[in-house]
Amino acid sequence: MNDTSLEDQVHDALQLAADSHQRSPLTVGDVRTRARRIRRRRTITAGAAIAAALAITVPVGLSLSGLGQRSGVQPATQPPTTVITGTVRIDPRSAPTSDTLAVPLLDVDTPSLIADGEVTELPETYDQLTPYLDGWIGVVNNEGAYSVRQLDADFQVVDEAVTASRLAVSADGSRMAWAEHDSTRWYVVDVTADGSREERRTPLPEGPVEAKVDVVGFASDTEVVVTQTDPADGALTTLRVDGSTVTPVPGFVRPWTASSATGVVAGVTRVLDDLSSCSAVIDAQTRTGTPPWATCDYTLAAFSPDGRYVVGLASYLDGNGSPTLAVLDAATGEAVIDYELIGPRNSIVGINDRVAWEDADTLIVTMVSRDRQFVLRLGLDGTVERITAPGTELEPDRISLVVAAN
Amino acid sequence: MSPTLVGMGSQSERADMSAYRRADKDSDFSAYMSARQAALYRTAYLLAGDHASAEDLLQNAFAKLYLSWDKVRDREALDGYVRRIMVNENNSLWRRAWKRREHSTDTMPETGVGVHESYDDGLASALWSYISTLPPKQRSVVVLRYYEQLSEAEIAEVLGISVGTVKSQASRALAGLRARAPRSLNPHEFGDER
Repeated sequence: MNDTSLEDQVHDALQLAADSHQRSPLTVGDVRTRARRIRRRRTITAGAAIAAALAITVPVGLSLSGLGQRSGVQPATQPPTTVITGTVRIDPRSAPTSDTLAVPLLDVDTPSLIADGEVTELPETYDQLTPYLDGWIGVVNNEGAYSVRQLDADFQVVDEAVTASRLAVSADGSRMAWAEHDSTRWYVVDVTADGSREERRTPLPEGPVEAKVDVVGFASDTEVVVTQTDPADGALTTLRVDGSTVTPVPGFVRPWTASSATGVVAGVTRVLDDLSSCSAVIDAQTRTGTPPWATCDYTLAAFSPDGRYVVGLASYLDGNGSPTLAVLDAATGEAVIDYELIGPRNSIVGINDRVAWEDADTLIVTMVSRDRQFVLRLGLDGTVERITAPGTELEPDRISLVVAAN
Repeated sequence: MSPTLVGMGSQSERADMSAYRRADKDSDFSAYMSARQAALYRTAYLLAGDHASAEDLLQNAFAKLYLSWDKVRDREALDGYVRRIMVNENNSLWRRAWKRREHSTDTMPETGVGVHESYDDGLASALWSYISTLPPKQRSVVVLRYYEQLSEAEIAEVLGISVGTVKSQASRALAGLRARAPRSLNPHEFGDER
């Protein structure tokens, strides 16, 4: 089925739908009545706008300090937190608590969005959700088939790419990218959250929907790293796209994450016979795919916003998540800090691989221990806090929280 | 006679002039409405999906045109002006929020069963139902492109977006239609089914 015949069918369908309605229901009197109402509304709105403009100077300073306190994000001028080395033990039940959380979460059961200290009910379950323009961009997971939706502030669908990938969201939330198929080829779509730049679409060569494209992350201000599946054998090719060109990035079996701050990609470079894997950090501009360092102890999950650190999860990941978590120096692969889950071995389930950096020195993770899911803040200074913000403390046997943007 | 009255005419003369101008405006506007209402109503219906919303959309657009009537220099551009108001109004957050409150149960598109069914055994009717489920912006692009037959540049102008965005919206809409109604969009499969 090609586009031309579909376009003709759409034309015919619209023509038929419209032609059956020969109506002229309005009189000039109806229109004049509505015009008077609009004129009155405009007068009221104009008055309100002037009042708002006069009032705006005072609350700015107040709201900024309020936001700072609520989010708990450190100001940029704050000296960096001391990073300790060694092993930190995580016991979520005895950890000190904190009711602040700067990383939005999704509860996929209720479904709801947990952000800014509030729980907002969603009209349906989203696998990912991140602010975009005056509303949101969300991903719906329908049995492994993804759709990307642009939503308004009330979560009503404004636009939708039905056959798409999951989202990659930049560390500061200012950019997002996804892939979508238009029945002839995959496109990589790259947008700014505030709409300051026109949506950019990089076409990949024509191919079936089965040659699936997934977005890994941003390698620079202009480049997005993606993978494309070979439908014949399921092998992934890693690509770097910039709006017009598509360049292979050699070296990976399966890339996981990228850093636009340092221009590197991290991912699995080798799968071992026991199904564990080796990973590496490789320059996105590489021609050879030779990594400066590699490790067979960790799966690399998420770069810190400044690209200095990368999270290391277990080298073998299954549906339960990772029983360990480390933070590695992204330049050398050296483990800076190891977090060890404590408790009876059979009670520990694991840390979800959707890990988020709250700022340059703090991670937010969700983990399951015994029958409960916890949200934790892990600091590079060795602090561990259990998050108690609204919506984050679930009943036993409920495991439904995920980081919203990852 | 004071200089003011010499220059501007008496109060009753000014009132007469004002009434004359309004009658003139109403006559022109009425002629335009008579000539174009049926066609623009069809566009409103395709954008809104039901008669109540279409009527509301068109009434609002005509009212805004009426308020601006004296400022419109290019009478050839009137249809474009009305279309732009209808499309933007239909897409606006305020309107959708209002519609949710007032018409929360009015979700099923009106398909005009009978006319379509006899034409092609329901294929166009089925496709129209799927078009009715497209997100507002995609639906606007589809209506302007495939019903109004506007060029991509003209659609970009109406919607206040770039030509590239018009292309991507159209592409997404077609991909969405194909994904949602794959069997209906393939005449051979559809025929086999019967």
